Amino acid sequence: MKRTAAFLLMLAATCTLLSGCYDGKEIDDQTYVIAIGLDKGETNKLRMTLQYAIPLAMGSSGVSGGGGGGGGEGESKSIGSMTLECPSVYSGLNMVNNSVGKQVNLSHAKVMVFSEDLAKDGRMVMLTRAITRGKEFRPNMVVAVSRGSAEDYLKSIKPRQEADPSKYYELKFSGYKYTGFIDQTQLHDFFIKEESTGAQAVAALVGVNTKNSTKEFSVGESSAPQKNRPVPFEGDYLAGNLPKVGDIKGEAMGLAVFNGPKMVGELDGEESTHYLMVTGKYGHAYVTFPDPIKKDFYIVVNLKQSRRPTYKIKLVDGKPNIKVEIKLEADYMSIQSGINYESEYNDIFERSAEKYLEEGIKRLLNRTSAEFHSDIFGFGNQYKSRFLTWDQWKNFQWLDRYKNSTFEVAVDVKVRRTGLTIRNAPIQGSEGEVQSP
Amino acid sequence: MQESKIVFGKWETAALLINALNVQVFLNFPRTMAERGGTAGWILAAYISVLAFLLFLLISRLYSRFEGKDLLDLGEYIGGSAGRIIVGIIILIHITFIISIILREFAEDMKVISLPASPISFVILFFLSGMIAGAYAGIEAIVRFHAFIVPIILAGYLIIIGGVAPYYNISNIMPILGNGAYAIFGSGFFRISSFSGLIALFLLFPFIKTGKNFKSAGSLAIGISSGVLITSALTFLLVFPYPSAIEGFLPIFQLARLINYGRFFQRVESIFVMIWAIAALLYLSMGFFLIVYVFSKTFRLEYYRPLIIPMAIIVFAISLWPKNLMSAIAMETVYFRSAAWAVTFGMTLLLLLVAGAMKKRNHRKEGDRK
Repeated sequence: MKRTAAFLLMLAATCTLLSGCYDGKEIDDQTYVIAIGLDKGETNKLRMTLQYAIPLAMGSSGVSGGGGGGGGEGESKSIGSMTLECPSVYSGLNMVNNSVGKQVNLSHAKVMVFSEDLAKDGRMVMLTRAITRGKEFRPNMVVAVSRGSAEDYLKSIKPRQEADPSKYYELKFSGYKYTGFIDQTQLHDFFIKEESTGAQAVAALVGVNTKNSTKEFSVGESSAPQKNRPVPFEGDYLAGNLPKVGDIKGEAMGLAVFNGPKMVGELDGEESTHYLMVTGKYGHAYVTFPDPIKKDFYIVVNLKQSRRPTYKIKLVDGKPNIKVEIKLEADYMSIQSGINYESEYNDIFERSAEKYLEEGIKRLLNRTSAEFHSDIFGFGNQYKSRFLTWDQWKNFQWLDRYKNSTFEVAVDVKVRRTGLTIRNAPIQGSEGEVQSP
Repeated sequence: MQESKIVFGKWETAALLINALNVQVFLNFPRTMAERGGTAGWILAAYISVLAFLLFLLISRLYSRFEGKDLLDLGEYIGGSAGRIIVGIIILIHITFIISIILREFAEDMKVISLPASPISFVILFFLSGMIAGAYAGIEAIVRFHAFIVPIILAGYLIIIGGVAPYYNISNIMPILGNGAYAIFGSGFFRISSFSGLIALFLLFPFIKTGKNFKSAGSLAIGISSGVLITSALTFLLVFPYPSAIEGFLPIFQLARLINYGRFFQRVESIFVMIWAIAALLYLSMGFFLIVYVFSKTFRLEYYRPLIIPMAIIVFAISLWPKNLMSAIAMETVYFRSAAWAVTFGMTLLLLLVAGAMKKRNHRKEGDRK
């Protein structure tokens, strides 16, 4: 009997070898897609662009790791791309499989870019619902909206500093931790917010910068005029509008705002920073403030969020009144005026920075309620705890009430460090002390 | 049967029960809790855990007068051979149904996750071969293997629920009462069927021998299983807010897919697939052994091993009854998990109460005669 049992156990163990009978896949028998772009088609429902890795080129490129991005005019041998028109994502994959020698594998896809058109007519949400059904698409994949064509955006990406193109996308979309200009909107997060009764979705905004000469730069492309600024700050741009020329054409800057299934607006880089501060996802970044004492001078600090923001939400005459408290810490990076803010004027800077941020954040909050009617911060989710049952909460219709919200913002900025300089000594010239120009 | 000489201890018994009670976590338990309780699905899990523990205490108290006797022995005590056969047939139908359906579900899930091109019968045969091998090896091998593997399964589970901590959002479990007090504490009562795996304890009492071990193994298993069931429902709801939570096909797999720490600690679902397959195989082996064991004991057959292949064919055939995955899930979650309490708790309590009354009456008669 023991022999029979041992034989059967051995037989059961060998069963594991049979798993390759139908589903065996060799790693080098697959085409690994790293980015997917979806646009409205001309001859069919969708125009799908697949960007895939070319492992042989990656292996022979001799480029080793390192940081940084890429994307530019030169040809990148580590990625290839293909664009086709198809009725749906899955049928498109079938068509691609018919063209490429190896079967398409999506398990390494890092980003899915939708054109603005698809986002605005609601089909982007329909498509994300479809792809969450497939196990091939990972929930950590970044969802982005392209200002213009998704195809153009993906084709503008040609990593030259990265041997591994998937690493390029991972680094690019995690850069929000030290820029604050986008949010890393993952498929999982986008999907649950689309179904949420207390929050609405945003998606990272990407675009192609078409400038070939510095002569094409224009203040009008920034949001500075709307903010009454004589010159734009670093966050006053949307993807594709940055005043820069160079090899890197693809940009990620700002957020697309959704109300239900449809994209209803765009936030620029600065508003995205404020969005991250309000939601508590802000890491740290260099932020420019106007000098409170000397006009037309700027103070740059490395600003980071020290605590989770707190919210107090109450109903006033049936309208939500939302108080947000944000605590930030700053390190001086640059004081153009040379004024000694580090010591005697520190309080003046802190109060000024607080006021500046409060105004900016309040402007953003008012835009989301009055202009977009979209609670992208998830205040509703905070307010849910006031209800006992789901039906009571659902009948409250938070998302409908949000458009009438009023806001109060309190920002607390504390300067902690001053970099390697503790005070500024005056600059000396033949006429004695010289003021900064 | 030769197994009657086998005795196993508290931890071995508890490990077997822990796996029997928690295997549903890897299938659809967190989602069914969310379906029933809404944002309060985890409270429902806690509620049925408390109920199960109280019922178990009651049963173990009643069982103290029938130490070492399983449900079939109780049936025989009450109604002779007819009683034993009736109880045996009810248990056989109960276990054969759930093992066949769970076999189908695991095979379907494996097909969806890892083996999309393999025919379903081929995948079922994988599990079935393991079940057959387990049944041949006998209950001792199955139980000892549980004692060794269950801690590994629990560790894998903890990695998954801990790994998704960055996605936790406490507001997801608000409003606190979810679909309402009645959905949780009223109609939610029938979800006590989630503890139907306890029937294994009531069938394996002859192998445990002492009432003390019976009580402590059962309490330990319910305690640990309650922790797993509650945390699974809670974690799932903290990550997937209601109503998105009721869409997920395999909740724990979907949690595992989210784990992503930097560029190197990703794709943890491979751990899930491994612990999931091991847990499934152990559970199915234990369940399949119980089928042949109960059959042989019901009909007083000296050997159970000749039954293994015929029973395997029956289980295989029943597992192919559901016309698709949705039917298999519905059979488990809608029918079995709503009604299984009647056999595990209802029938057991009834047998114990009747047998207890008869024992008391017999004692009284004996006392009168003296």
